[in-house]
Order: sequence, then C-alpha cells, then structure tokens
Amino acid sequence: MAEPQISLLSDLTPPSLERTWLTAPHPTLPIVATCSSDKTVRVYSLTNFKLLSTITGGHKRSVRTCAWKPHVQGESVLATGSFDATVGIWRRWDSYGRTDAGWGLSSGDNEAVNGDEHDGNGSNADEDEEWRFAVLLDGHDSEVKSVSWSPSGMLLATCARDKSIWIWEDLDDGDNNFETVAVMQEHGGDVKCVAWHPVEECLASGGYDDTIRVWREDLDDWGQVACIKKHEGTVWFLDWEGPETVPASTSSDLQSQWREQRALSGPRLISCSDDRTVRVWHRLPKETSQPGMSSSATTGIPSIIRPTGTDETWEEDAVLPHAHELAIYAVAWSRKTGLVASVGADGRIVVYEERLVAPSTDSDAMDTEPSTRPSVQTEWAILAVFDGAHGIYEMNHVAWAKRADRGSEGADEEVLVTTADDGSVKVWTLQR
Amino acid sequence: MAEMQNSNPTILNVADLPTRSPSTIKAADYGNGIFAAVPNPADFLSSDSEDDDLLEEPIDEQEIYDLIKCISDPEHPLSLGELAVVSLPDIFIKPTLPNVPDSPLQTVTVLITPTITHCSLATVIGLGVRVRLEQSLPPRFRVDVRIKEGTHSTGDEVNKQLGDKERVAAALENGALMQVIAKMMETCQ
Repeated sequence: MAEPQISLLSDLTPPSLERTWLTAPHPTLPIVATCSSDKTVRVYSLTNFKLLSTITGGHKRSVRTCAWKPHVQGESVLATGSFDATVGIWRRWDSYGRTDAGWGLSSGDNEAVNGDEHDGNGSNADEDEEWRFAVLLDGHDSEVKSVSWSPSGMLLATCARDKSIWIWEDLDDGDNNFETVAVMQEHGGDVKCVAWHPVEECLASGGYDDTIRVWREDLDDWGQVACIKKHEGTVWFLDWEGPETVPASTSSDLQSQWREQRALSGPRLISCSDDRTVRVWHRLPKETSQPGMSSSATTGIPSIIRPTGTDETWEEDAVLPHAHELAIYAVAWSRKTGLVASVGADGRIVVYEERLVAPSTDSDAMDTEPSTRPSVQTEWAILAVFDGAHGIYEMNHVAWAKRADRGSEGADEEVLVTTADDGSVKVWTLQR
Repeated sequence: MAEMQNSNPTILNVADLPTRSPSTIKAADYGNGIFAAVPNPADFLSSDSEDDDLLEEPIDEQEIYDLIKCISDPEHPLSLGELAVVSLPDIFIKPTLPNVPDSPLQTVTVLITPTITHCSLATVIGLGVRVRLEQSLPPRFRVDVRIKEGTHSTGDEVNKQLGDKERVAAALENGALMQVIAKMMETCQ
C-alpha cells in the first residue's frame, strides 16, 4: 500500500497580495470565501479555481473571518468579521449569472458557462455589484476575531479582542434585522474563536486566556457550562466532530460499540494552540437522572443556586501526535471522513487519522462482568505531512471542502483548502 | 511626553557598540521602504538568479543588531543600542525546523532588556523591534522578540502579546500606535 500523500491540486487565482486569514467553504455550492488583510473577501470557484467575485467596501480594516449562513434557499448569505470591530452581513442571489443546478459536479456545460462569464479580462465590476451589503452588526469594542452560524442558521456568534462573545438572532424578517440575544464576558482575554456544535445550540469558544469554554442557553439565559483549562498557550481554533463519522477500524463490531459509546456523550471538540498541541475533548455523559427527581434532589444543592444543573464536565480525550514546531493556527475535523488537518506558523500541513484499538484479550479473564465492559479506545496516527506548503510563509487556516473540479473521483471526495500570509490560497488532495 | 519613567538611564558610548569592521555591510532592506507592510512574494520566490543571490547572502546576529540598534527609545533621545535595551549577545539565529534540513526557515530571537523593570513602554519597544525586523528581513525569518528573563515585572504578559500574530497585525493597522513606531524608527538609516 502506498503511503498516503498530500498533493497540490491548484492555487486559487488571482490571489490577494496581502495576508489571507481564513477560507470558508460554502455549505452547498462549490465556492469558497477567503478573507484578507486588504479589507476584502474573495469568492473563488472550486470547479475551476478562479476568482468569481470580490466583496469590497464594507470594512475599514483587515477582514479576519467569515462564515456562510446554512440552510438559505436561493441566496447566499455571508457574515464577515473585521479588525474594524464590526460584523458585516452580505447577500447575493444564487441565480445571478448562473444557476445552482449542477454546480455540485463539474459537467462540461457548467465549465462553459463559467468560462464565458469570467473570460479572463479581469473586469469584475458587474459581479462586484451582485453582493448586497445587508447590515452592519455593531457592538464589539475591538477587533472581531471569529464568527460562526448555529446549525439552524438562526443564531450568529461573534467574538473579539474585547473579551466578549455576542450571540445575535437573525430575525429573518426580510428587513435584515438582528437582535442581540446574549453577551458573554467570562473570558479573561481576547476570544480567538467561536464554533457551534454541529447539531445542538451549544457554542464553544477559545482564547488568549488559554481556556476553552462551552456555552448553552438555560431557560432564557446564555451561560457558561464548562471551562477547560489545559492548554498552555492561546487557543487559536476549535472545530467539532461530525455527528456521523466513526474512527477507522476493520471491525464493524468495534465500530458499533464505539457508536453506542459516543451516543452518550455526543460529538467531541478539537482545539489547537500556541502550545503546539492539538487536543480532543469529550463531554462526560450526564448521569441518567431518575424520573421525578430534580437536580436539586440529587445534588443536594438548593435549586436557587443551580436551577437546572446545566454544568458539564469536559475531559481530555486525546492529545494528537506532536507534529508542529510553531504555533498551530487552525485545525479542521472532516465531517465526512473524520480525518483531522492542522496548519500553523511552521508552514506544515498535517493530516491525522483516528483508529479504533482492538481491546487487549489479557484483561478478559479478570473482567467478566458485562456492566464493566471496557470502553472502546482509539489512537491517533499521523497520516501525511507536507512541509513548506506555502513556501516560506506561515499558514493561517485549513478547511475541508467537497471536491468539485473535473478530476473528482467521486461525490464524497474532499479537498483541503489552505490560506497563508502571502495571500495565496491552495487546494490539496489527499491520496490514500 | 509625560514624566519620564527612567530619567537617568545608563548610556553606552556609540563608539563602544559592537560593529563589524570594516563596516561595509549594508542592512538589506527588502521592502519598498521600511513601511512596506507586505513583502512582494515575487522578490523571494522568483527563480531569477539575482534574487537567488539575495537569498543566499547569509544574515548574522551582527546584521540583526545593526537593524535594531538605531531604533530610538520612545522616551529618551537615545537609541536602543546606546541604552543597551538590545545587545549583540542577546540575539540568536537558529533554524526554525531543525528536523527539516532543507527548510530555509530561520528564527531570529531578540531578548530585550528594559531600562527599568516596570517600564510600561516595554511592549511598544518590543513591537518596534518586531516591526523593524519583519519589514527588513526576508519572510523566511520568523521573528521572536521577548523580554529577557528577570528584567521586567510583567515579562510573560509582554511576551505573550509580542508573540501574538493577530495582535501584532492589528497593531500595524492602528494609526496612533504606528505613528509612535514610525517616530522610533526615524533614526534608522
């Protein structure tokens, strides 16, 4: 079996001439949005790797982050966060200039349409106008670092150097009104990243105070339900495990056993840090509460202090094998394959795979009670490393996206999209 | 400026500062002036032989020192070299990825000694040094500016700030702060 290999598929062209911070793949269309220090966002096609349009004029400083709103019909909605302390909401009709039919896979017809439309003259004036600036969300006091839409698309979380996290509700009233739902200020420093749970209304954040915090709504109030203090440096990025993926194994028994186990604790969280580690976290399953017993009865704590007992315990699940020499700026957990990719200041792409470990047979004699059946263990292995992925430049972000060019070998194939200090954005395949 | 924090600093004689003799080495200025925030990738990636020569020219600790010794202290009409805030033995160049032999990445570490242990300007001085080096050195250098251990009361805090890429990037977009930094660098070249 050949060694798995990361290979360059294409650059996205033309690139920004200034640092690019992050690239967000669209939830359904084969396009990505890349935000840059040049105050703009570039939208590229993953079908032909060309620039489709540029969003300009909204921000006065670097655009640090952006995220596509999920589940929007017929329209694409992008939230952008900038060092100018504001969050912009942008809209564009998907029907503009092309239809979304067939966009997922590159048929010859679509290529032709794209070719005609963007025929190399570089004049994007008309396309630029297709992006409608909808609203500016004003509230943060300093640089916005990260934005994230909840799985339903109803809520937008934003965070900034002002140590706060804001949750906004998109009222979807046709008038672009957003309402502030909550402002959380527990972090002791810049909040670097926010990421929503893949299915629940549960938010994770990480920051300059080296902590990861988990937030949920309890009755009407958003509050912190967990604070994880284990990293020894700024937590730069977070991602959640997909609800469907299962670690690699040749044993389907083991896999279904693992599925049962995970069903109790839910998707895990992954974090990367200035301390050069990537760590995985899981929630301890809540004790199955007896019907009729309130939490105050079981804990003995008066209900006025802990009205619903929302606190959660999060434990370290794994530290991924050491692979980076400098700060790790981004980590991406594929919702399709379960593979993890990380990038950072050392210019290296690392892809990891989680594997189920067959239980050792020695312990069987000792441990015969079915109720104490040992939990299924996993181990993480480095699958592939690519050094100098953007030459000598630091990489700021990595994301998994659905492959959409002609070379795609199947509907499930994914590519990695990386973003670096020289403004370049590169698309990579992982050959196994 | 408001009341000075250290009104009587120790000053070194310029003639005593370490130099390379004969001093024919020019500080390589790779940007379009020191405020070219974004280096042109073509300058370093092109296969043009002229550029290759530039890449091959080794950069040593003395050259790093020469780049930063001339930066002015924000509160004294003196340079960081004269105040011994920066000094040649506190500059280190080493491969960033020792396990990757062909990697061109090198890390420049500069340890800063503030004139007094509670100097609130330590962050600004550190930022000035970092900005000066990032704008003068080719991008294959990773710049690591830190307060020398035991020389500042909140050294760890300052170090964390100086090492935070995002904060440094945001500071470069802060007009007021950059004016201070630009003033500190007026005395360079």
